[in-house]
Formats: sequence, C-alpha cells, structure tokens
Amino acid sequence: MSLPNKRTISNTSNTNHTSSMKKAKSQTVACSVDSAKNGLHHDFNNTNNPDNDVVFDPSSLSLDEDLKTDDSRAPAAANLGRKKAQPPQPAKKLVIKLVKGKPTLPSNFEEDTWAKLKSAIKAIFLKQPDSCDLEKLYQAVNDLCLHKMGGNLYQRIEKECEAHISAALQSLVGQSPDLVVFLSLVERCWQDLCDQMLMIRGIALYLDRTYVKQTPNVRSLWDMGLQLFRKYLSSYSEVEHKTVTGLLRMIERERLGEAVDRTLLNHLLKMFTALGIYTESFEKPFLECTSEFYAAEGMKYMQQSDVPDYLKHVEIRLHEEHERCVLYLDVSTRKPLIATAERQLLERHISAILDKGFTMLMDGHRTEDLQRMYVLFLRVNALESLRQALASYIRRTGHGIVMDEEKDKDMVSSLLEFKASLDTIWEESFYKNEGFCNTIKDAFEHLINLRQNRPAELIAKFLDEKLRAGNKGTSEEELEGTLDKVLVLFRFIQGKDVFEAFYKKDLAKRLLLGKSASIDAEKSMISKLKTECGSQFTNKLEGMFKDIELSKEINESFKQSSQARTKLPSGIEMSVHVLTTGYWPTYPPMDVRLPHELNVYQDIFKEFYLSKYSGRRLMWQNSLGHCVLKAEFPKGKKELAVSLFQTVVLMLFNDAQKLSFQDIRDATGIEDKELRRTLQSLACGKVRVLQKLPKGREVEDDDSFVFNEGFTAPLYRIKVNAIPDEGNSGGEHKHYRESIPGPSISGSPPLLHVDAAIVRIMKTRKVLSHTLLITELFQQLKFPIKPADLKKRIESLIDREYLERDKNNPQIYNYLA
Amino acid sequence: MILFRWHAVASWTWDAQDETCGICRMAFDGCCPDCKLPGDDCPLIWGACNHAFHLHCILKWVNSQTPQAHCPMCRREWQFKG
Ligand SMILES: [Zn+2]
Ligand SMILES: [Zn+2]
Ligand SMILES: [Zn+2]
Repeated sequence: MSLPNKRTISNTSNTNHTSSMKKAKSQTVACSVDSAKNGLHHDFNNTNNPDNDVVFDPSSLSLDEDLKTDDSRAPAAANLGRKKAQPPQPAKKLVIKLVKGKPTLPSNFEEDTWAKLKSAIKAIFLKQPDSCDLEKLYQAVNDLCLHKMGGNLYQRIEKECEAHISAALQSLVGQSPDLVVFLSLVERCWQDLCDQMLMIRGIALYLDRTYVKQTPNVRSLWDMGLQLFRKYLSSYSEVEHKTVTGLLRMIERERLGEAVDRTLLNHLLKMFTALGIYTESFEKPFLECTSEFYAAEGMKYMQQSDVPDYLKHVEIRLHEEHERCVLYLDVSTRKPLIATAERQLLERHISAILDKGFTMLMDGHRTEDLQRMYVLFLRVNALESLRQALASYIRRTGHGIVMDEEKDKDMVSSLLEFKASLDTIWEESFYKNEGFCNTIKDAFEHLINLRQNRPAELIAKFLDEKLRAGNKGTSEEELEGTLDKVLVLFRFIQGKDVFEAFYKKDLAKRLLLGKSASIDAEKSMISKLKTECGSQFTNKLEGMFKDIELSKEINESFKQSSQARTKLPSGIEMSVHVLTTGYWPTYPPMDVRLPHELNVYQDIFKEFYLSKYSGRRLMWQNSLGHCVLKAEFPKGKKELAVSLFQTVVLMLFNDAQKLSFQDIRDATGIEDKELRRTLQSLACGKVRVLQKLPKGREVEDDDSFVFNEGFTAPLYRIKVNAIPDEGNSGGEHKHYRESIPGPSISGSPPLLHVDAAIVRIMKTRKVLSHTLLITELFQQLKFPIKPADLKKRIESLIDREYLERDKNNPQIYNYLA
Repeated sequence: MILFRWHAVASWTWDAQDETCGICRMAFDGCCPDCKLPGDDCPLIWGACNHAFHLHCILKWVNSQTPQAHCPMCRREWQFKG
C-alpha cells in the first residue's frame, strides 16, 4: 500500500484548485480548502450553479478514491470525472520523508498541534477566517498521524463535530411554523454541514487515509458527519417530523396545481437519501399520502367527469408522477408510486369506467379515447375486463342489427359497416390484440347465427345486388373489396348450404337474364367461395357458367343449321339457354299453352339439339323464359321486357278487346296462382299495360281485363316487373313483396315502414280523412317525417290500389280490400 | 303487340330407360362415384343392348372383364352402341 506524502497532496491540491477555479467548477476538496484558507465561505448553496448538486453528493470527492468505504450507507455513485485529477503518487518520496522526521518530539507536541487544528475546525464551523496556514494544518494532521496519534485526533475531531451538529439541529427546534421557510432552514443547515465536513476532511485527509483506513469499524470523517446529523435529526424528532410533513405538504400543493420550489424538494430528498433514511422516513408516509390523495380524487372525478375526460386526467396524473420521480423523488420510488396512483385512479374504477363510458366511446367510434383506455387498462392488467366489455357490446349492438326484422333490408350492410368499424378500432385502439380479434370473431359468429337461415339468405341477396348489372358507380376494385368483406361475414355462417341454395338461385337469375355486372366479378366470387369451402361447394356453380358458355355455342350453330334456315318462321329472334339438370336450382314445371308459332320454334330447336346430343331429353322451362315485345299504344310505340307468361297473356289481346279471368285461364293454361300473379303484374303494378275491371289489388275470378289504350311511359324501353312469388321462400319475405321504387335516403326511415303503417291504419279504419290519417301516422311512426313525404306515400298507395279517394270528397280515403 | 326477341330456357337430362346406373347404383342425374359433377363431365354411354351406364363405370367394368366383357344388366356381350 502506498501512502502519498504531504508534498504531493499539497501539490495536487493546488493544481486541482487552480484548474477548478478557472472553470468556475463546483466544490472540490481543494476548493474548499482554499476558501477556508482565505477565510471566505464559499457559497455552496448557489442554486444557479448547474453543478450545485455536487455539494450533496459526498462521493464526488475524488480523494475518496482509495479510502476505505466500510460504511455501506455511503452513496455509491462516484464522480468519475474527478478522479483524473488525482494521479497515483510515487511511493519513493514517502521513504525519504519518514527517515527525516523521526528523531525528536517535544513533550507538548500533541496538545499544541491539536490546538492549531481545533481552532481551524472551530473557525470552519463558525464560518470565520482562521489565521493558520492550510499548509501548516495539513502538516499538523500528518505529523499527528505519523506519530500514531491518529486515534486520539479522530476522537477529538468527532467530539468537535458532534457538539456543532447537535447545536445546529437543536437550533431548528421551534423554528418558523411556515413549512417552506422551515424547510429552507433545514436545507441551509444540511448544506452548511456538508460544506464544513468537506473542509474538515480536506484538512484531515491524511487521517482518513491512514488511521481510518487501517482501523476497523471506524467511519470516514464524511460518514461520521452524516451519522451525527442522522443521530441528532432523529433525536430532535420535531425537526425530522416537520421536515417530512413539509415535504409531503409541498408535494400535495404541487398536485393541486401550485408551483413549488422543486429544487428545495430535490435537495432535501437527496439529504434523506444521503442519510440513509429516505425509505423509512419519507417514502413510506409519502406513498400513504399519495394513496389517500388519489383515492379521494378518483372517487370525485369519476362522479364529476365523463369517462374520456377521466381517462385523460389519469393519463396526465401518471405522467406527472413519473416526472416527479425524474425531478426530485428517488428513482426507487417510481415503481411503488406509479403503482399506487394506478391502483387508486384506475384499478378501483375499472368496472365503473366500462359501465359508464365504453358503449359511448364505441358508438362514437372514438378511437383515440379507446386507445387511451386500452393503454391505461393494460397497465393495471385489466384488459380482460375490456375484452369482456367489447364482447358484450358487439353482441348487444349486433343483436339490434340482426334481430329486427324491419331492418332486414339493411342487415348485411349494417353488419359490414359494424365490422369495419370494429376492425378500425381494433387496429387503431387495441393494438391488434389477438385476444380481442378472436372476441370480435366469436361475437360475430354468434350474431350471424342468431336467426338460423335468414342471415345466410340476406348475405346471398346482398351479393346478388352487388353482382347485378346496373350497380353503377362501383369500380371493379371496390366491388372486389365489397366481396371480400362479405366473405368475412360468410365465414361466420354455420348453414353454408342455405347460403349456397340462395346464392345459386340468384346466380341463376343473373345468368339467365343476362344481369351480371361482370363475369369476371362473378368468377372471382366463385373462386373466393371455392377457397373458403372447397370445390365441392362450387362445382355446380361453375357448371352453371359452363352451361351459359356452351349455350352460346349451341345458339350459334343453331342459327347456322339447316333446320333453322329452312324451317323457322322469320320474325322472332330466339335464343335458348340449355341447362344441365343438377347444376341449376330445381324449377317446378309450369304448364303454359304457347301460341302455335312459338311451339314451332321450340320444336325445331329441340330437333336440332337432340340431333347434336343424342341420348338426351330436353324439357322447356317456360317459367324462366323472357321476351321483348314491340307494342303500339295509341300514345306511342314501346318496347316491353316481359316474362314468357306475360307475353302469352298479352298476345291474347292482339285478337280481343276484353277478356275475363276465366277466358285468359282457358286460353293460356297457366296455373291459377301463377296466372293471378301474372295478371297482377300487368294490370296492378307500376307499369299497367292492361286494365283490370273492377279496380283493386287482388285478381278475382270475376275480374276482366282490357288493353290499356291510354298507356304512357316516359321511356321507350320498359320492364314490366314480375310480382315475386312469396310462396317460394317463406313468410319472412313479406317485407319485400311490394318493392318500393326509388333509393331510400340514409337517415330517413325506410319508406316501407311508412307504407306499412298507412296500410295498417286504413285496414282497421276502412274510411279516414286525410287529417286523421296523418295524425295517426305521426303517433305510430315515432320518427320525424315531413307531411309532404307522407302525402307522396299515400299517393303511391292509391296508385297501387291499396286506397282510393272518396268519389265525393277527395279529402277522404277508402281502404280497398 | 309483336314478339321479336325470345330468350327461352330448357334443361336436359339423360334419356335412359333406368333411373340409376346398374354398376354404381347412382342416379343418372348425378355422376359416378369418381366424379364430382354430373352432366357432360360424367357422360352416359349406351351398349348395343341399349343398356346405359356412366361412361366411367362401364370402362372400369370392361377393363376388369378380360378377355370379353358382358353387359352387367343383360349378360350379353358388351359392345358400345355405334
Ligand atoms: Zn355408374
Ligand atoms: Zn364419372
Ligand atoms: Zn345390356
């Protein structure tokens, strides 16, 4: 072990001193020594000095470098930068010194030397200049140590320190009731002590390096100072208590929004740390206070503010507490502090937050607030509660979409919209949490299957609308996107066969009527279904496309055939779709007596077909045939797109003015119910080529029909819609029966509701004035609707012969049975 | 009122005497066990004896009956109808 001699210490001190002074650096030992020598008190408490903290950090004293650190409470962090100023000293010089100073020793040597030192220490404590040269003081300590008087010296220094420290702390007893003032006094006292102990240590450095180091269970001078401060702080318990209370008050004030002296807080808390009493004396009561504070605040704010504001507040609070740890609390406090705040502000209110605000945030699609909720809940392990809330929200909201029969028309688009909104929230707010994803899936699967086959049917119907021609304004990409989204819903369906049946029925219609918007889109949909359900599912659907392709070829070769060229009467442009039984939906056979000319056409085609494909039977599906007629009405020529059945009925009127229902039935041989529907479509629908006598919505046995001489229509080409066959698909179809023309404007109630309400009222009242009808409607509808719109609906129902105006008073309506 | 364009629809089935294939017992409206789609994909074929089978079924049968195959229905020598 090499001990540095006094020369080297002195030299280093001076070097160090000058360099640090130049840089206006903070307190080093050399610097302190210098101040003492000049009798000036160096102001350690200069809060503007950025390096000021060093005062409170005894470890910044680089001279500790090779001192023993038996006191485990000594701060561990060392100012490493400082060490460079202390190069290791060569050991040879020490040997020369020792030989020189050994021989003589005056009898009063120890007392005299101590007197010098004692006066210097007293001066330091009194902050007074001392006459004795620093160099001599070092020498004095060195001399005493060299003559093995270190133990005595140590005890004497300790006694001096204890007297001073005890007095200093006692002087704080009964001091200012103003907590901030009091805290400043404590801070001052602490800083002074640090400052003074550093100076004393600077002088007695040799003691620290020799006696202290070589003797077990003796504290370094610095630690001795700390120990004494700790001892008297706790024995004058009022001082300690007031300090802690003051700190807690200040922090509470800051939490309440006041600006407080954070530097003061920082310094005092560093003092607690340096004294080793931070956890026991400060942190414990501090965490208790925090808990109480946030318990009260949590209760109050939960009542006062709405959930998004509350969450924002919590977020801010947690951030503030975090900052507090950076600014003045000890780092070790961060975890328990944040946990305390989280427990009081969040954990205790999880279910209340969800009950009060989750639905509102979801309904409002407030992704930012939901994200905040997610992040906060994540902190307190409450994601499971959030997930459950999500599950029940989806079920509740979805239930409203799926179970309301009145809303069937919009079910699929509503579900798609709902799903899209959930997906966005999942991505933007819930960090794509996998568990949440499964929750959404499970909830949707539950929803879709709430009503057995209905959703499957509606999804097929929705696809039909999308894939149908006339779906303008949708690009191929958009259509693809929609198909993909629908497929997501499709995946949840348990009754895939039901879907297939409906899809097939609609696809057949699109293909046979040439109504497909795009064959590419159709095929893309089929391949998507194939991917989902395998080729078993789509084989027959693909077969339908094949039939359509093949039919084109057959028609081409038929046109070229000798049969067609020689035997076919001219005039009618005929094309045939030949369907493979088994690929297509099964259509019930329907009889019809065709005009002779049409029979000829069919026979010739059949002959041609069977000559090409032997071993087959060919059956005409007359209920699927459709035609284009040219009609000359007195008010103009029109082209009518009609079904074969409609055609057969209309053709009868080429030879007759008026025909009874019976006449028509006999002439066409069309089955009773089908015929009534056909006649209804021609005489009671939107386009009325025939007139029914008497008027009315239903076709009765005694009714007769005449050609509508007064027929007008704005367009040249007119489609006469068939009345859908309600018997085919069960009672749930009733809502579709009368399809109301015109797009339904989103946000306004579906026109169907209005129509249904009018019919309901009139059915019970039979006769009602306009005013009374309107009044009853407003009561029944419960949603805002303009009187002008109601009037339009009434007109429409009069057109469709649900109602009529009274012949004597146009303000009175009669219900037509 | 003049009809000038007519889209007719017809459907075809096999014109066999029996409803089902005598070999696989599946309906002629359906396909043989090896196929997924009825119709052109799994055609019928007639023998000189006028018995019809799924093409795939009778081919298998004929290949398994060497040297001479007989109609599984009437035991006559199997000949494809010309
Ligand atoms: Zn077979
Ligand atoms: Zn086959
Ligand atoms: Zn045979």
